[in-house]
Amino acid sequence: MPTTLKDEAAIVGIGETEYSKNSGRSELALAAEACRAAIADAGLTPADIDGMTTFTMDNSDEIEVARAVGVGDLRFFSRTPHGGGAAIGVMHQAVMAVATGSAKAVVVYRALNGRSGARYSEGVSGGPTTSDLIHWSWYMPSGLMTPASWVAMVTQRYMHETGCTSEDLAEVCIAQREHAIKNPRAFFHGKPLTLEEHQSARHIVEPLRLYDCCQETDGGAACVVVSPEMARDLPNPPALIRAVAQGAGAHQESMTSFYRPTMTDLPEVDLSARQCWEISGLTADDIDAAVIYDAFSSIVLWQLESYGFCKKGEAADFIRDGALRLGGRLPTNTHGGQLSEAYVHGMNGVNEGVRLIRGTSTSQPAKNEHVLVTAGVGVPTSGMILGQG
Amino acid sequence: MSIETLRYQDVNVGDALPELPIALTSSLIVAGAVASQDYTPVHHDKEAAEAAGMQDVFMNILTTNGLVSRFVTDWAGIDARITGVSIKLGTPNLPGDTMTLTGAVAEKDETGNAVTVEVTGKNAWGNHVTGTVKLTLPAGD
Amino acid sequence: MAISGTEREEFEKQLEAYVGLDIGLEDRGRDPVNAAMVRHWCEAMGDACGAYTDAAEAAASVHGELVAPPTMLQTWILGGVSMASGESDPRDKQKELHRLFDSKGFTGVVATNTEQEYTRYLKMGDEIRAKTVIESISEQKATGLGIGYFINTRSTFRDQNDEEVGWLTFRVLKFEIAEASASSSSEAAAPSRPQRLKPALGHDNAWWWDCVEKDELAIQRCSRCQALRHPPRPMCGECQASDWDFVFSTGQGTIYSFVVIRHPEVPGYTYPLVVAVVELEEGTRFVGNVLDIDPEEVEIGMPVQASIELVDDEMKLPVFRRAQ
Repeated sequence: MPTTLKDEAAIVGIGETEYSKNSGRSELALAAEACRAAIADAGLTPADIDGMTTFTMDNSDEIEVARAVGVGDLRFFSRTPHGGGAAIGVMHQAVMAVATGSAKAVVVYRALNGRSGARYSEGVSGGPTTSDLIHWSWYMPSGLMTPASWVAMVTQRYMHETGCTSEDLAEVCIAQREHAIKNPRAFFHGKPLTLEEHQSARHIVEPLRLYDCCQETDGGAACVVVSPEMARDLPNPPALIRAVAQGAGAHQESMTSFYRPTMTDLPEVDLSARQCWEISGLTADDIDAAVIYDAFSSIVLWQLESYGFCKKGEAADFIRDGALRLGGRLPTNTHGGQLSEAYVHGMNGVNEGVRLIRGTSTSQPAKNEHVLVTAGVGVPTSGMILGQG
Repeated sequence: MSIETLRYQDVNVGDALPELPIALTSSLIVAGAVASQDYTPVHHDKEAAEAAGMQDVFMNILTTNGLVSRFVTDWAGIDARITGVSIKLGTPNLPGDTMTLTGAVAEKDETGNAVTVEVTGKNAWGNHVTGTVKLTLPAGD
Repeated sequence: MAISGTEREEFEKQLEAYVGLDIGLEDRGRDPVNAAMVRHWCEAMGDACGAYTDAAEAAASVHGELVAPPTMLQTWILGGVSMASGESDPRDKQKELHRLFDSKGFTGVVATNTEQEYTRYLKMGDEIRAKTVIESISEQKATGLGIGYFINTRSTFRDQNDEEVGWLTFRVLKFEIAEASASSSSEAAAPSRPQRLKPALGHDNAWWWDCVEKDELAIQRCSRCQALRHPPRPMCGECQASDWDFVFSTGQGTIYSFVVIRHPEVPGYTYPLVVAVVELEEGTRFVGNVLDIDPEEVEIGMPVQASIELVDDEMKLPVFRRAQ
C-alpha cells in the first residue's frame, strides 16, 4: 500500500466539448461527449473504464454518464463538494482509487449549461432547509448572494491590507487574455484586452469590475486517470501526478469565511499547498507553469502567495513585470483561464495542465517539467502537481 | 397647460429632466390600452393576464410610449417635435406599483437642432423601459 | 426541452421562408385622425400638451394646428375591440408564423424592443394605412425567459396621398416557457411589491431571528467558556459544550470590509447596495447593509451603529449607519 499519493497515478487522456453560451443540448450529453473524447484520447475503450467521479454540483449521475458512454461495471464512484474547490478534489479521489487498486481507470468529468441553464451570477435562493441554506440565510436578506459579492468582500480587505489596486487585478486579466487570443477554444480567442478597457468596464460588485469576473459557459471537460504502469502502454505521454491534496481550514465557510481573525488568511489554500510540496518533495522554485483557479482575478494573487511563489501580500509586485505571461517567471492559465477561455468549474484547467506537460498548449512555455494546477478559493479547496511521466 | 418651450441653445448634454413618478393603477393600464385601441386581452382582462403567467393586467407598449413622450414634452414644451423613439422593454408595469421616469440629455446635433434624450422608467421590479427619444427644438432668438 | 437535431434544422428552414415576407395584409385606419381619439389618449396618458387638445395653443405653436401625439402612430390602424377575440385573418403571415412557433413549443411571446420614426406629425383628417414586413428571424437564443427566437418586423405608415408619415419596428421574442416559471405563475397572487429574500429558519438559527423581531441583535455565548460566536451553531468550537445562551449587542462597531453591489439587481433591494462585514465592539463580526451613505464615502475602519428596521413590507433586519 502506498503511504502518500506521490507518483501513484497519471492522466493519460483529456477531452472536452466545444465551449459556448448555448450548447443546445443536455448537460448529460455534454458530460458523455467529454468523457468519450477523454477515453478515446487515452487510447482506451469505454470497457476499460471502471471508475467515475465528479462534483456534487454536477447534475449528471455517474451511472447515467456511464450508461450513455457505454461504460460497463463501475467499481468506484464518488463526488466532491464545494463548487470550484472540487476541481482537484475529484483528481484526489481518482488518484486514491487508482493507488489503492479500487479502480484501474477512472474518468473524471464536469459538464454544465452554465450560461443557458442555471447561472451562478443570478445568485442563491430558496430550496429545502439544509445546513447550507441556513448558512446562506445570514447573507441573502442583506443582498449578498452571488459569488462576485462574496469574493469582492475579501478582495476589498486584501486591497486595504496590501495596497493592491484594480490595475494590479487588471494585469491578471490581461496576461490571461494574451494567452486566450491564441486559443481557438477560448471565448475571447482573437480578442485582446487593454488596461483602459479593464478600467472603464462597469463594476459588478465593487471593487470587482466586469473582466475581473469569469464567464458563464456551456460545456464539459473530462480526463482519464490510470496507474503509471498502465500509462506506459498508452499512446499519449502521461502527465504524472506528483502530488494531489485537499484542504479545508479553521473557521471555514463556503465562500463567506468572514469571521477569521484575519479575513485574508486562507488556511485551506495554505494546507493544500503545504501537502503538495510535502508529498512531491518539490518547492515553488521547481514549478515551470501553472493553472491557477480564476473564478475572479483577485483569487489568483492569493494563491500565488499561499503556494509560496512570493511572500504574503506581495503578489501584485510579483506579477507586475509580466510573471504570468509567456517568458515570465510563471506562465499561468495559458489557455486563458476561466476569465478568458471558459468556465467549466476548473476541469478545463486540468486539461490545460496536461497539455502543458505534453507540450501542446497554444501558449506553450519552453520549460515544462512541473506544472501546478489548483482549485477554487473561498471554499474547501485542492491542488495538484503534474510532472513528466 | 403649456410651459415655455426650451430653445436648442438652452439645453446642454447632461441636463436632467424633472423626474416623473407614474402611479400604476388598473385604471391607467386599461385606459391606456383602450385609448390606443389595443384590446389584446392581457391588458384589460385579469384572467387572461393570469393565464399568460402574470399576476394582473399589465401595461401595453403604446401606453409606455405615450408616457415616455409625455415625459419628454412636459420638459421640452409645445414647440418641441418628437422625431423618433427607440426603447427596450424590461419588467412589466403592474397595478399597485409606481414607475418613475428619469432622463437626461445624451446628445446634441446642430444640424436640425436635434437633441437625444436618454430615458429610463423604473418600477419596483427593475427597469420597465430604457431607451432614447429624439426631438428637435426651436432655435433661440 | 427545446427541439434539436434534424427537427430543429427543418424548423429553421421553414422559418427562413418567412424572412422578407410582406405579411400580406394592409392595415387601414377605420377612422381618420380625429380630435376625440386624441383627447381620449391624452386624458389616459395625463398629457396636457396644448398642441394635441387646445386649438388656440396649437395654432400659435410650431405645429400651426391641432396634431396627434406622434407615439399614437400605431393606434390609427389597430383593430380595437375585435382584437379581444383572438381571431385573425387567415391570410396574415405574421400570425401564421407565430402559430408555427407555437406548434414547436415556443408558445411564450414578449415584445422586447420597438423603434419608431415620425416623418411628420399627423393632423386631423389624415387617413393612415400601414404595411408590415417580417425583416428577420434570429438564430436560436438562450434568454432569461427561456430558449427562443427573436422576430423583427417593420411597419411603414402612409397617408391619403401615399406619402410616408413614419415607420416602426418591433422585436418580439417567441420562447419556450420554462417549466419553473410556468408553475410559479400558477401560484396565488404574489405581492405587488417585491420583497427581499427571507432567511430559512431551522433549529440552530430561528431563535436569533426571534430576537430580531424583538429589535435585538443577539450574539450566541457558550454557557461553559463564555466564548461569543457568530453565526450561531449548535456546539462551542472552543470547548465543545452544547449549552449556550446569548447576549445583546450594543450595535456599535467598525467596518472591517465592505462591497458595493451593482449587478445583478434583484427585485426587493435598492442599488447600489452597500454590504459590510462589521466588527462589533463585543468582538464578533456581523454582515449587514450600510444605509444612508454615498457608496464613495464608505471605508474600512468607519464607526457604525446598528439598528433593527423593517427593510421591506415584512422583514426586520439589523442595518448600519455611520456613527455620529
